Parts: sequence; C-alpha cells; structure tokens
Amino acid sequence: MKKTKTIFQEGNHKWVAIVRDPDKANHLIDTNEYLVTHGSKGLLLDPGGAEIFPAVFSALSSEFDPSALSGIFASHQDPDTCSSLALWLEFNPQLRCHVSWLWAGFIPHFGGTAETFVAIPDEGDDINLDGLILRAVPAHYLHSSGNFHLYDKVAKLLFSGDVGAALLPAAESGLFVENFDAHIRHAEGFHRRWMGSNEAKRAWCERVSKIDIDMLCPQHGAIYQGADVQRFINWFDALQVGSCGG
Amino acid sequence: MMISPQSFSGSAWAEQARGDLLRIVRINEEIKSIVGVAFKINIMALNAIFLAKRAGTAARGFGVLSNELRVFSQDLRDSMAGLTALIHACVAEVSLVLQDIRHTRLLRQAVETSRVGRLTEVLAERERKSTEHAQHLVGLRKQLKRALDDAFQLVELGGMLAKSAKIEAAYGQAFAVPLSQVSGEFDGVVEEIRASLEALRRSAFFAGR
Repeated sequence: MKKTKTIFQEGNHKWVAIVRDPDKANHLIDTNEYLVTHGSKGLLLDPGGAEIFPAVFSALSSEFDPSALSGIFASHQDPDTCSSLALWLEFNPQLRCHVSWLWAGFIPHFGGTAETFVAIPDEGDDINLDGLILRAVPAHYLHSSGNFHLYDKVAKLLFSGDVGAALLPAAESGLFVENFDAHIRHAEGFHRRWMGSNEAKRAWCERVSKIDIDMLCPQHGAIYQGADVQRFINWFDALQVGSCGG
Repeated sequence: MMISPQSFSGSAWAEQARGDLLRIVRINEEIKSIVGVAFKINIMALNAIFLAKRAGTAARGFGVLSNELRVFSQDLRDSMAGLTALIHACVAEVSLVLQDIRHTRLLRQAVETSRVGRLTEVLAERERKSTEHAQHLVGLRKQLKRALDDAFQLVELGGMLAKSAKIEAAYGQAFAVPLSQVSGEFDGVVEEIRASLEALRRSAFFAGR
C-alpha cells in the first residue's frame, strides 16, 4: 500500500502526498498523488493509473473520507495521470475532473460523462475548493501540449506535474530532495526527452519565478523545498530540452 | 442455473471472455465469407435466368427455380445481416464483461485494504452490473444460436431449390448440358454454405456460460 505524508497543514487546510508503494509492480512507473483538503472538501491531483487505484484509494481513505472528494485535477492526459478516473467515478459519480480543454474530449475515453469534465482554458483558471482558491497555472508543451500545474498561494505550494520529475533508484527514494546535485542527475534525461519546447520551458521558468513557492511537488520523484525550488527553476532554465539520445 | 461472475473465479471468467472474443471474431469471418457466397449465388441465378430464357419452354421450370434462388440469395444476405448485428452486440457485451472483470478486481483489492464502508456498496453494485452483463451475454448467445439455426433452415431450402434445378436441367433438351452444369454449381455453393453453418453451430462460443 502507498504511504501518506502530510506536507502542509494550517487549520483545516492540508496537503497530503500519497507516495511510494513497496508492493507496486516494477513495470509501472512510480507516481506521486496529492490530496488538497480545505474545510470539508478535497481535491485529488493526478489520481494515477487504474492499476494503482486500490493502493491510492486505501492510502487516501486512511487520511480523508473519499466521499468528501469534490474533484480531480488532471495535469494532462497520460494514463499514469488519470486512467483510474472510471473507478473514482464508480465510487462517486458526482466528482468533477478539471483538465485542459485540449484533453476534455480525450480523457472521457478513460470514463465519465459530459458532466464530469470542467475544461480549463489555455490561460488557466481558478478552482474553488470550499472557499480556497487554487490556481491552474499554464505549463503547455512541458511534456504535454495542454498542460497545467496547480498553485496554492496559501500553502505556497506548486503541484508541477511532470516538471521536476525524477526517476529515482530504490536506494534514493526519500520524499524530499536532500542533495540537489545528486538528485538532479535522475531528472536530467527525463526532462531532456519529455519536455518538448525550450521556448515553453523559458516562459514557464519566468512565470513561476514570479510566484512565491515553498514546495514544488512533481508527479514522479521527490519534492523540492526551500532554496531547492529556485535552484531547480534555474537548472531547468539552462537545460536544453526536446532531444532524444545524446 | 444462475450465471454470475462471482460463481466463477475471476481469472477463469477472464479467460472465457477473452476466448469468447476470439470465437466471435471467427464466427464473424465465416459470416463474411457466407455473404460473399450469397452474392455469388445472385449473379449465378441471374445468368441462369438468361440461359433458361434462351432455352425456351423446355427450361421454364429451371427459370422459375433460378428466380427462387435469387430470392434465396437475398434472404440469405438478410439473414447474415441479422447475424452480423448480433455479433456486434456480442462483441460489445464481451467488452463490457472484460471491463467488469478488471474493475471488479481493482475494487476488490481496494476493499481488502480500506475500511470505507461505501466502497463495499460500490463493489456490490459493480458485481450486480457484472452479473447483468454476463446474463445479457447468455441471452445473446441463445439469440445467435437461434438465428444460426434459422439460417441453416433457409440453406436447407436453398439446397432443395438447387437439387430441383438439377432435375429440371435434365428436361432442358438441347440446353440440358449447360443447365446441368449451372445447377451443379448452385448445389456446390449451397453445400459450401451448409458446411460453414454446420461448423458455426458447433462453435465453442455456444457452449460458454
């Protein structure tokens, strides 16, 4: 089963990371799911693939009543991001899935009805979670052509989808980045290959440099916190992306 | 007997569903080939009608039978269209059964490790729907079997027409040889269809739960 770790808490406002399943099959890429709760409601970010639904559901339910989930945020369209959607909807058909308008016609192939999807326009949007305003920040062409990250200005936390992702060896599976230089080696190949546009990357780095971030939380790998956040943005800014091989 | 995925182990159920899909594909391929042959009968019957006209009164009976074989060809194509529609319904239902199997497995795993009571209800609902889909598939199997039996009866009639045409050909006087050749071809293709349908009726798909 996956573990849960509270990474931010202030009153009834909380961020929980759902991570690291020792029983996960090796052929599946490891993913991090995040739960934001505020008041009586919860939003699940990138709920993961169908095959890991039992592990995510069980871990989440140990922390939070899954009936109180009001929505799902899908940063993009990949199966490891949200192919479990049909199962979450079986549990709660009222769930709404926030996703780029670009993928709003594609993700229903995983499940859901016309009412399930809330299309996010290219410029981003605010998502209201029981009074807490979360901002969908554009990150188009960073891995996916319609891509969003989610910023919580109260928690100063940015959920960054595949940006910041690292494919970590088993021996280095800590939840937080502890040694940036050692860690970033595991992120480099992934970013070079999976990020498609230097121009888009530049725009993203400029955009997020202007916002106040304490924690940058990717969908794979470890969380950057404190000074490592800006260190990562600078590293990413300098990296040539959109290449395969050498 | 009550058919339910719960009365059958998940992996055995999945294995049967995957096998069913393969068997349905094979049935569909056979139906496509029968449609092709039915179209051929129509062309052959049309030529036979022209030949009978040239032969005159001696081949009047042969002409009537050739016309009946054209009608048979159309009826056979309609029958195959009905079978194709049932095949599509079977594919849709087997696909749902396969999806049920996967979702049920994942929900069961979640129930085993979670104490959320509502999830048990969701699983029960999923199992109820799975049973519904499985029962619907049983109904479709029976419908398909009946439709195949009806098609077989139709082909028996076609066979009688072809054999009668053989007899009529003998009275064709100067045209007896070409008429006999044509009626022999009719008989041959109808027997080909009969053999295909016989094979389909023995398909393991109809032995499924």
